[in-house]
Amino acid sequence: MASLSSTAAETTTERRGIPGAQFVEDVERYLTQSGLDVNSSLSFLQERLQQYKLVEMKLLAQQRDLQAKIPDIEKCLDVVAILQAKKGTGEPLIADFEVSEGIYSQARIENACSVCLWLGANVMLEYSCEEGTALLQKNLDNAKASLEVLVADLQFLRDQVTITQVTIARVYNWDVHQKRRMREAVTAEKDS
Amino acid sequence: MQQGGGSGKEVTWEDQQNINKFGRLNNRLHELEDEIKFAKESNDNLEDASNELILTDEEVVRFQIGEVFAHVPRDEVETRIEQMKEVTSKNLEKLEEEKGSVVAQMAELKKILYGKFGNSINLEED
Repeated sequence: MASLSSTAAETTTERRGIPGAQFVEDVERYLTQSGLDVNSSLSFLQERLQQYKLVEMKLLAQQRDLQAKIPDIEKCLDVVAILQAKKGTGEPLIADFEVSEGIYSQARIENACSVCLWLGANVMLEYSCEEGTALLQKNLDNAKASLEVLVADLQFLRDQVTITQVTIARVYNWDVHQKRRMREAVTAEKDS
Repeated sequence: MQQGGGSGKEVTWEDQQNINKFGRLNNRLHELEDEIKFAKESNDNLEDASNELILTDEEVVRFQIGEVFAHVPRDEVETRIEQMKEVTSKNLEKLEEEKGSVVAQMAELKKILYGKFGNSINLEED
């Protein structure tokens, strides 16, 4: 593949371990330089395409996770904000909360100065409201930043998929074309 | 979705980039359509909620914050819902705007690509 760089446009870089697809300017030159016949080149490209699709699925799953996580964190921030707002007023926050699926009980929260955040791995830590907000905000910013990177990765990946698909179609078409020309040449010979 | 230039037409790097761009826009269009649907739904829900709020006699209503239902006085809920409505409708507006620009850009690219490749390229959804 590396020897083909002369026919490839110069933008075939890679991004976070995803190899860039190579754009083929001239199918015939590409085939001779890679030393592949049409079928093996097609199967190589198809294989590449499958690999891209696999990575795409992985990235999409990650994207879904993050997209679910962001509103969750926002909800937590909302609650902490409410607690904080109630703190100075002296009136308690009365809330119905779910004890078990479909069963609600009432809680009276007076002057809550702290919140407990579930950190995962069976650990819960008590924070002051300010610290809790800061931590949640940091988590939210991180999640948003990773989502952004992920979306850019996906875009890059989809470009590579498109390039590969176009290349497959062109190699295939070139082959069809080539065969037709050969047939025409044979019939022309017979006629003469 | 795409088929490379078939008969004789050479595909240049520029064409490829246009095709990539078209593919990207098409993806974005689908995402936007989903997001718009979602934003419309939440807008409608908020609208329903504020209508119900007008009808109710209760002074204190249960307002969902995070996972719990907090007891909040009605007028406070009213202002909160108004704020939320404002945020979602602004968001909806922004999405619609972006959709408009994506559609326009796609139309532009279609003109270019069909102009060059004619029938050997297919840019329509199946």
